[in-house]
Amino acid sequence: MRNLLDFLRKYHYWFLFILLEVISALLLFRYNSYQNSAWLSSANVLVGKMNEIESSVTAFFSMTRANEELTLRNFYLERQVSQLRRLYTEATQDTTVMERQERQFLSQYRIIPAKVVSNTLNKQENLMTIDKGRADGVEVDMGVASGSGVVGVVYLVSDHYSVVIPVLNTAMSRISCAIRDRNYFGYLRWNGVDPAVAFVDDIPRHAHFKRGEWIVTSGYSSIFPPGVLVGQIEKVFNSNDGLSYKLQVRLSTDFGCLRDVCVISDKNVGERVRLMEAAQDSLKGLRK
Amino acid sequence: MSIQLFRQLGWFVLLVLVQVLVLNHIHLFGIAVPLLYIYFPITLQRNTPHWAALLWCFTLGLTIDVFSNTPGLAAGSLTLIGLLQPFWLELFVPRDSIENLEVSAVTIGWGKFIVYASALIVLFCLIFFALEAFNFFNWIRWLEYAGASATLTMVLIVAIESVRGR
Repeated sequence: MRNLLDFLRKYHYWFLFILLEVISALLLFRYNSYQNSAWLSSANVLVGKMNEIESSVTAFFSMTRANEELTLRNFYLERQVSQLRRLYTEATQDTTVMERQERQFLSQYRIIPAKVVSNTLNKQENLMTIDKGRADGVEVDMGVASGSGVVGVVYLVSDHYSVVIPVLNTAMSRISCAIRDRNYFGYLRWNGVDPAVAFVDDIPRHAHFKRGEWIVTSGYSSIFPPGVLVGQIEKVFNSNDGLSYKLQVRLSTDFGCLRDVCVISDKNVGERVRLMEAAQDSLKGLRK
Repeated sequence: MSIQLFRQLGWFVLLVLVQVLVLNHIHLFGIAVPLLYIYFPITLQRNTPHWAALLWCFTLGLTIDVFSNTPGLAAGSLTLIGLLQPFWLELFVPRDSIENLEVSAVTIGWGKFIVYASALIVLFCLIFFALEAFNFFNWIRWLEYAGASATLTMVLIVAIESVRGR
């Protein structure tokens, strides 16, 4: 305390100086209009900058929520775009049919948003776990997609978690895809080498397409609705038996940083599956 | 109330009147304004208490501002000069001189006086015109103003000193 008082006594004129300068500055900024406006505008710039920094910090903390919403929105928008594209190319033919189809199409799918809790990239048969299970409505053989493309198929379900077989699984992943707008379809397989590249087999040799065209799900399986993005055609090879093309596809989903996904449940899938099974049973019966 | 205080008050009033009535209207070549009131801090006694120097300079500046309609301009600049003047003076005064040395060309020698005074005058003019413009867009013009005013003020102060010395 004594030292503080000594310090104050020795350097008291500095405080007086600062006081007098503050008074001069007050007078200067108050009564001279140019200085006033310059001071106010630079104070505004400073305040504006600080508000900007603060809002960017708070926005950062709300980023997870924004991410989830965007994934959902992305998925819906993609569906709509693929449907609209199809409608547009058929627009000259029959408009009433299109309207009915569109309404029916969008109502039959239910989306369950989920987060990836475990993932691998480096194995030949990778598996992924998401944090939604039977209690949230997830069932085996439902499709899983992200905002940027297809992810995989649900394989096992417990009450609160599910295991998904992603595209990056050499043994078990077979997703039926087609070239967008051309409808030539094949099966998507992964060869275990590059997590960003997969192959579509069985594209017929009479098909016309170009490199860079998009591959989407065909909708022929009961798992994915048609039009979910898979990737872009990178290269074309001949298949092993020479009878068809094999397309090298760059996957649009980045499996390395997957966090928000959607599980797609098709309300009509039960009916389709039962119908298909009934047809196969009856054919087996006929053959016997 | 010492005689010294009255003398300082007298100089105070005189400088204010001369500046406000006469010198504020002089704009030599359109750029030079003699700021003679800087003479007051220059001739503050050695060992004036710092707080006294600050207060004298502040009130002088404020009075000039009130008459020139530029509140805060001279007050701010002159307060800074009032802060620096005691330290600056110590550099020019021989150690063994008397305590309350009166500062003038006669007592400390013309050479030292000119260096001492011109440094304070130039600094004051720079700060004064910087505050007045409040930006550095035309920094060349700022330097012109400061340089010309400082020169003119220096000439006037040298004239006064030579008259006082006789």
